[in-house]
Amino acid sequence: MIRIENLKKAFGKVTVLDGIDLSIEPGEVVSILGSSGSGKSTLIRCINGLERIDAGRITVDDFDVSNPKELAEARKRSGTVFQLFNLYPHLSALRNVTLAPVEVLKRNAAEAEKEGRALLESVGLGDRADAYPAQLSGGQRQRVGICRALAMKPRYLLLDEVTSALDPEMTAEVLEILADLTGRGTTMIFVTHEVAFARSISDRIVFLDQGRLLVDLPCETFFAEDGGMANARVAQFLSKMRKD
Amino acid sequence: MRYADFGPHDIVLLLNGLGVSLTLFLTTSLVGVVLGALLAVVRYYRVLVARELVTFVTEMLKNSPVLVQLFLVFFGIPALFKIDVTPFEAAFFTLALNTAAFVYVIVVSAVESIDREQIEAGRVFGLTRWQVLRHVIAPQAVAFATGPLTALLVNQLQVTSLISVIGVVDLTKVGDILNMRTLKPFIVWTVVGVLYYLAAKIIALAGGFVERRLTAHSAWKGL
Amino acid sequence: MRAGRSIALTTARDAVETEIGFTRTVAGLNLIVSDLAPHIALLAQGALLTVEVCVLALAGAVVVGAAIAMMRASGSRLLRGIATVYVDIFRNIPFLVQLFFFYYGLPELGIYVDAFATGVLALSIAGGAFASDVIRSGILAIDPGIVEAAQVYGLSRRTTFLKIVMPIALRLSVRPLGSVLINLILTSSILSTITLNELTGSAKIVASQTFRPFEVYAVLLLAYASLTYLLSIAIARFHRRLNRGVLEAV
Ligand SMILES: Nc1ncnc2c1ncn2[C@@H]1O[C@H](COP(=O)(O)OP(=O)(O)OP(=O)(O)O)[C@@H](O)[C@H]1O
Ligand SMILES: [Mg+2]
Repeated sequence: MIRIENLKKAFGKVTVLDGIDLSIEPGEVVSILGSSGSGKSTLIRCINGLERIDAGRITVDDFDVSNPKELAEARKRSGTVFQLFNLYPHLSALRNVTLAPVEVLKRNAAEAEKEGRALLESVGLGDRADAYPAQLSGGQRQRVGICRALAMKPRYLLLDEVTSALDPEMTAEVLEILADLTGRGTTMIFVTHEVAFARSISDRIVFLDQGRLLVDLPCETFFAEDGGMANARVAQFLSKMRKD
Repeated sequence: MRYADFGPHDIVLLLNGLGVSLTLFLTTSLVGVVLGALLAVVRYYRVLVARELVTFVTEMLKNSPVLVQLFLVFFGIPALFKIDVTPFEAAFFTLALNTAAFVYVIVVSAVESIDREQIEAGRVFGLTRWQVLRHVIAPQAVAFATGPLTALLVNQLQVTSLISVIGVVDLTKVGDILNMRTLKPFIVWTVVGVLYYLAAKIIALAGGFVERRLTAHSAWKGL
Repeated sequence: MRAGRSIALTTARDAVETEIGFTRTVAGLNLIVSDLAPHIALLAQGALLTVEVCVLALAGAVVVGAAIAMMRASGSRLLRGIATVYVDIFRNIPFLVQLFFFYYGLPELGIYVDAFATGVLALSIAGGAFASDVIRSGILAIDPGIVEAAQVYGLSRRTTFLKIVMPIALRLSVRPLGSVLINLILTSSILSTITLNELTGSAKIVASQTFRPFEVYAVLLLAYASLTYLLSIAIARFHRRLNRGVLEAV
């Protein structure tokens, strides 16, 4: 499980995460909501070790992210899908997917390739495996991004606004794939502004506000009038979201 | 004199060589900058065919080795026109022209970097072509070109070392002489290298200084 | 169009004079061609040597440049310092002086290599200083998100550098590395001063044998200019082809 204890992070004088406590059990789907600048991306970047944390502790299956020796193990257990895809532009879709399994997990190249093709097939990109990222649409790129994460067989999938760079049609095709994944029991930590979608797939909703974890509730309770909605900030956030 | 060790006179020799290198560098740079800028102005005024001719010649000068240009002037021209050309004259002529070619290109792109609207606005306000050139184009072009010009001059200083090949006793030639006499290549070429290096640094510093002054000036003048 | 009009306007006398001038030029060209013909083989040999030297030096310069660029991007202050000093020195000292340093200095160290090897070495070292700048800007142009992706997926620093950063940086660098190559070609003419008979060196021989230095060096100058011009076109094309549909996303 992912365990976050009293996490603090500041950029210079600006405190971005201020004492976060959160744990995520295997199999859970947790959505992180919060207004812009509340620290959602930073939280994800702390979990996968892209940001150094100032205080507290993050462990992924008991591997401490702040410990350089354990970071590699922690990273093997989680896969990240990026908002702007961040695919390797000089490699084909398939090579994007197989690079880490071959280089990091030391998988046999032919096997990794077979699995990579199957993964791409499963997201409807079977015939685009040899295309380069620039030759793919945004939605296709993000599907490759998801395959790249899944190829590492992560126990936890970290997704930071993976559809916000996509138009509605492409968003739908990517969300469909994510919904499919939850059906297969993948643990997901899902930062999003798609409140309706979060509601439909999440077990739990976490609400961040100015670097603090304000609400952490089961999905239904979060959206109930006497649950999360009882919190003024949450109600304000949700009403703003509905208007958009 | 073979195998002779270094003597105090060698310092004078080196300084003489440095003096020759710097003199040629400074004079050919001056002539080259003025000539290159003038040619760019000719382009601005759209004189018939002059533009194509200048473009052709500058491209040739930019895209061929300076050593070959030196040989053409020093060996070729005297043979063809039956005139005497001293190494120094050949060096001066070649370097000045070569510098002018690069300056021309820098100035042209500096002028092209200026917003066309500004030029048109100047004309609309009733400025003459000359006034537009003097008050609108020149100050901005100079500020824009100082960086590339500094880089060019640092490079042209190094190019002067080639004139030793046609017999001008510049710093490199002095190095050659000392090298042959003392047979201590490491010391000789290190000393020569350090002298060139220092000169290059001084040019770069001066260029940086001018650039800062000019950009501060134009920033203040900007609307 | 303009040419057509001006011909129509020329008088008969002008036409005759043009004709004579033209014949004279052709005769002059004939003279050059017939005078140089016996020496073409020598010049071709020289040109081949120039190509060999420059191809090897380009390879050397890219290797040196990549290493220096890597050092400049490294976390170690010492490595960064060494790389910076390297570039500063070799960019600010005339190539001829560097060349003489190696040509006369190496035997001093008991290293006896011929002019060819010395030339390739000196060009690689000097070219490496320029190539490192080019490759460094290639590295800096890479979207940091791409490197973060590599980190997150557990690729080691080494693998990230060799399989992600360098391939992208080198692709982005094709065109500017082409300019380095063109500079190497022009600079390689200086190797004629250490007895290497590459293109310029063999032209020197032809000039002294034919007593027609002007024609020889004029042709040589044209040859270098057209060679580098054609090369720059080819490189630009190659750059576009290599990066078509691949690097817009960087
Ligand atoms: N590298 C950085 N340096 C300085 N400040 C940063 C950096 N990264 C993020 N911040 C700041 O930290 C705060 C939280 O940023 P973060 O990206 O985590 O917000 P977010 O909740 O993901 O917002 P959004 O919904 O817009 O993506 C913001 O105020 C941001 O300006
Ligand atoms: Mg964010």
